[in-house]
Amino acid sequence: MSERGVNMSSMTADSGIDRPPSARPARPAMDLRALLLDHAPFLVACLMLVVIVAVYGSLQSGVFSLDELNLDTTATLTLLLAATGQTIVLMRGGIDLSIGGMVSFGTVLAATRFGGDPGSVILWSAIILAIGFAVGAVNGLLISTLKLQPFLITLATWSILSGASLIVLPTDGGQVPAWWQDFGSAAWLGLASPVWLLILLLVLWYWFRSTRLGIAIKATGSNERSAFLSGVSLTRINLVTYGLSGLFAAAAALYLTTQTGAGSPTIGKDYILPSVAAAVIGGVSLFGGRGSLAGTAVGAFILTIIGNLVFVLHISSYWQPVAQGVILLIAVLASSLAEKAARGQDQ
Amino acid sequence: MSAFWARNRLIVLAYAAMLLLLLVTSLFSPGFLAESNLRSIVVLAAFVGIVALGQTFVIIGGGIDLSLPWVLNSSAILMTLIANGQDGPLLWVIPLMLVAGAGIGLINGVGVAMFGVPPIIMTLAANVILQGLILVYTGGTPPPAAPPLIQFLAVGRFGPLPVIAIIWAVLAIIAWVLLSRAAFGRYLYALGTSRTVADYSGVPTLRTIILSYVISGSMASLGGMLLAGYSGQAYLGMGDPYLFTSVAAVAIGGASILGGSGHYVGTIAGAFVLTILGGLLPALRLSSGALLIVYGVVILLTVAVGSETFGGLRTLLLRRRRN
Repeated sequence: MSERGVNMSSMTADSGIDRPPSARPARPAMDLRALLLDHAPFLVACLMLVVIVAVYGSLQSGVFSLDELNLDTTATLTLLLAATGQTIVLMRGGIDLSIGGMVSFGTVLAATRFGGDPGSVILWSAIILAIGFAVGAVNGLLISTLKLQPFLITLATWSILSGASLIVLPTDGGQVPAWWQDFGSAAWLGLASPVWLLILLLVLWYWFRSTRLGIAIKATGSNERSAFLSGVSLTRINLVTYGLSGLFAAAAALYLTTQTGAGSPTIGKDYILPSVAAAVIGGVSLFGGRGSLAGTAVGAFILTIIGNLVFVLHISSYWQPVAQGVILLIAVLASSLAEKAARGQDQ
Repeated sequence: MSAFWARNRLIVLAYAAMLLLLLVTSLFSPGFLAESNLRSIVVLAAFVGIVALGQTFVIIGGGIDLSLPWVLNSSAILMTLIANGQDGPLLWVIPLMLVAGAGIGLINGVGVAMFGVPPIIMTLAANVILQGLILVYTGGTPPPAAPPLIQFLAVGRFGPLPVIAIIWAVLAIIAWVLLSRAAFGRYLYALGTSRTVADYSGVPTLRTIILSYVISGSMASLGGMLLAGYSGQAYLGMGDPYLFTSVAAVAIGGASILGGSGHYVGTIAGAFVLTILGGLLPALRLSSGALLIVYGVVILLTVAVGSETFGGLRTLLLRRRRN
């Protein structure tokens, strides 16, 4: 990653400050091409999802039904929540490995602290979400004040949170109330509650991305220096982006307990790579400044349905991480080649 | 003298920390400085040291290798499976596993150097893919016991010296030569300082990056086989702790995680510090969870110190004064 710092500063020198993308001369034909190029990764991801769903549909009956949508969304939401935080961090040009620790820590706290009454559940949910934001904010502050690479700081907090999880709950166990576990199966207008959550998440995103903060995060990710020169406080941006990432990791943990009914001090590490994978497959750039939650959602669904395919084809479930890893690498390769091509066009 | 101090300050600090820890621990558990206990510390530190050797090279070059846990685990499991408890096959299985580990390193290196995949993503993906493949291959059944020869290499002794300490010493000398006396070392430091500058100065950057990951892969593989010998068998998840310890050992040893500085000499001290800490915590009745917390805090503290000696803190103070 250290090459990136060098590249960024050299990019700043020749293209960043006096020629922001929006200030390009507006020609309609160019705009259409630029628009397509901008959304190419997302469109490719949608195409991939269509193909995978088609394959899945040809192997399994009843794929094109509301029930299947409910089931798949229920299965995807933990990953999608974790990936939402990761998307925000990636767009800012960072990465958050600590979500692995935060997801574990959230589940063990929920499984050991939730009492039977709704009051304690609500209180502890709020506490867990607050811890998530606070830990993330500390990540952001450390990255800013120590001027160190995000992966190193978040690797350290990942370790700390994993240790804390093991202290709270040494092995898988604990319990959350039965009514809490019914969350996923609750439905309204034929749509399960996870689907409604997904819709809410997407609506929130479309509001968020055009707020001052959303724009500042994206601008910082595409060019830190010019964002800083335009008056963006990098410390505040880091604090908020990593804080939000921790918050969403905590939300993912809470949702996960509605699915598993218990806590696990080690489950979180299974979400680190997939959260990055979902975002990158959906067209979020690993180099910052580009991406959308809709893309990440498509990426998360692709990963889930690949899991379904593995199941339907009766091959060992151990193939699932292999497939996820390979698809991630293909997506990263494609995006880094596209990045190169785009940079070539700029010059 | 002052030039030596300026260049090696962090390494000297790492050794000072090691001695201090040794003293503190001996206060808490009286038998700690006994010969047999010191020997077991050397053996345990050797595993961290050998695995972290490759990580040192990669980090000096400005990258990071998060695929170590499952390269280590895969080679341990495949070695015990293929050798099936016999010494004979080890003659070709050990070299084969070293080459296989190097092969994974090659793939990592090519992905990073030639295709521009960020090292974290490349190596994390390799880690997950290897984990999946090994689980598919073994179906989750435990492999047979490690052959006697590899057990001897891991826990045996030549006179008072553990065999693994001799292996470690040889590797350390090779690492020192590569870093301090070979062109490869100079290329690696140049690369870690600035890839662009290294490129323009005629450093063969592609080859250098790839070679650093190749070393990392083969050292993880060696560490895995020896660790299987130490535990008497290979088991799933045996490599997981080495993700944090390898990075922590390098960080304690004074290498800037941004690349371009540090030395394996420092990592050796880092390996000892972590091992002694691992021994200190049970003496204080702390759990494995506490150990993970300590690793994390140690990484944070050492990189904070390493960033131009509290540079972060200094800028923070200066900024506050200005406001």
